[in-house]
Amino acid sequence: MELQMAGRDTAPLPAAAATVGSLLEVRDLGVSFATKEGRAQVVTGLNYSIGEGETLGIVGESGCGKTMTSLSLMGLVPPGGRVTGEIRFGGRNLVDQSARDWRSLRGRDIAMIFQEPMTAMNPVMTVGRQIAEVLTVHEGLSTASAFDRAVELLEAVGIPSPNQRARDYPHQLSGGMRQRAMIAMALACKPKLLVADEPTTALDVTIQAQILDLILELQEDTGMSVQFITHNLAVVSELAHRILVMYAGRGVENAPAEKIFDNPLHPYTRGLIATLPDPDRKVDQLFVIPGSLRIQPQRGCRFASRCSLASEICAATEPPMLEVETDHFVACHKVTP
Amino acid sequence: MLRYVLSRLSQAVLVIFVMSFLLFVLIGLMPGDPIENMFEGNPSLTPELIGQMRELYGLDQPITLRYWHWLMAALQGDFGYSSLYSRPVLTVLGPALLQTGKLLALTLMISVPSAIILGALAARKPNGLVDSAIGLFSFAAISMPNFWVSLLLIILFSVNLGWLPASGLPMTSDASFWLELRHLILPVMVLVMFHVGPLIRYVRAAMIETLSADFVRTARAKGLSEGTVIARHAVRNALIPMITVLALSFGHLFSGALVIETIFGMLGMGKTIYDAVGNIDFNLALVGLLLATVVVLISNLLADLAYAYLDPRITL
Repeated sequence: MELQMAGRDTAPLPAAAATVGSLLEVRDLGVSFATKEGRAQVVTGLNYSIGEGETLGIVGESGCGKTMTSLSLMGLVPPGGRVTGEIRFGGRNLVDQSARDWRSLRGRDIAMIFQEPMTAMNPVMTVGRQIAEVLTVHEGLSTASAFDRAVELLEAVGIPSPNQRARDYPHQLSGGMRQRAMIAMALACKPKLLVADEPTTALDVTIQAQILDLILELQEDTGMSVQFITHNLAVVSELAHRILVMYAGRGVENAPAEKIFDNPLHPYTRGLIATLPDPDRKVDQLFVIPGSLRIQPQRGCRFASRCSLASEICAATEPPMLEVETDHFVACHKVTP
Repeated sequence: MLRYVLSRLSQAVLVIFVMSFLLFVLIGLMPGDPIENMFEGNPSLTPELIGQMRELYGLDQPITLRYWHWLMAALQGDFGYSSLYSRPVLTVLGPALLQTGKLLALTLMISVPSAIILGALAARKPNGLVDSAIGLFSFAAISMPNFWVSLLLIILFSVNLGWLPASGLPMTSDASFWLELRHLILPVMVLVMFHVGPLIRYVRAAMIETLSADFVRTARAKGLSEGTVIARHAVRNALIPMITVLALSFGHLFSGALVIETIFGMLGMGKTIYDAVGNIDFNLALVGLLLATVVVLISNLLADLAYAYLDPRITL
């Protein structure tokens, strides 16, 4: 098994096997929305890439732009949003492609699973039909054979008595089962990239582990790449080869997962890791990063107001993303090669 | 399901009983006297004779006792005579109900689908050009009094163009289908305007809400076309809350039909009840209003059944 279940204290994950050809290249991605006070820049100058078969974890707190980054890969940024920069997928730039090209890509080459399995499915359509729909659109299957395929897919994601469940409506399934069904739907056309937007956040801890295992297992079978979004470092430690830490719409640290956990360099990443509870140590209070996330004016480092290391330069100029060590990128004035 | 229907029907029977008593009392409180009305202007009518007539019709008895007599007769299928038409009330109300039924059925067949289509179109781009145009139309439809619209349409289509009849639908059953249809076009147009205005606003609001739902995003993420997303995923979900609005609007539509029937000279339920009240025809007014109650109760029951049919989360 190429991927192992690895907590942060156990053996590090093997380095990404396939950085050879990268499937997805995101260059200088920006997402902005028109508001009454002018344009609000939700994501700024974001760069990353995902290799074939690789899992990238994007970590950051609520409001840091993780979800908008994912939606921009699907062309599903809500109305009023503008996407700039480049999203190269399989050699072509997705940013300015036509609605028709987006449609043929969505659900076939890039598929997405969402945070809320309770509301992500149509309440008045059977689970089987909702899965079958993807197959009729992209693979031109007849309704009947698409439904049979849907039953097989439900079985593949570990849903018991799939024949019955396919005929059930979403409200008849538990949260975990619904998320499994969503995964079945996403994987119906064997996508090259799965975008998972906090797929375990709304689930019980035991179910979370099952869903993570399922994603790992399916990734191994299909060799797809995964972009996994979460605010939970513990979750990402279990499946990501590489981690991108985001703060206030910008990437602040980008490195292989084991480097992030063994040697976090950005003060924000250090803070995030320090907030993780350690079962071996008894403490009265868990660590908290002081302050709260604010989208700040364009000048200076966005984390400066919460950073204990901040000095004049941090407030004055935005730190560039530099390769501080081999394959370890950090955007911080206080961390230099 | 069957249990639910039976329990709802028994509730409906109770409501009809209560309504019949309330209506009986209310009609009894109306100013005017049926006897005086009957023999109005007859100089040979002495107070003694009036007294005798009252006794004969039981009008000297207390109202509760009168209600009791009426109820006992009604339970045996005898709903009494109409003093206005000198016929059993049911033979007056039967054709009237049929007439109004045709009017309302045609109206609903046009207003509901057009409200869904226009509301969904408006919701695609809120505050866009299409939305503004549809909004203008629906506010105009809401604001214009229906009797005024009727008169305008009569001036245009009946007087100036001479295409359609303004009134005079023969009440005989041998009126041909086409003749009847020609008479129905104008009143149906007015009622559709009357009904569709608020409905469009409701559909639009429900569609805007549904289009921002997570499952619509999922549908888009599957690579479905926008038309499929709207028709297959959004509309059905948006329509479920619309059923309540429709059921409630039905009573409203029924009362709207009164004005329309009066203007276009159609002897439907509304006009019949109106005439009965104006002419102090106790029986006809009472039974007519009860019949209207029954129709509204049935439409509410059908609405609840439609809910269960459209929404798998609801079991009866």
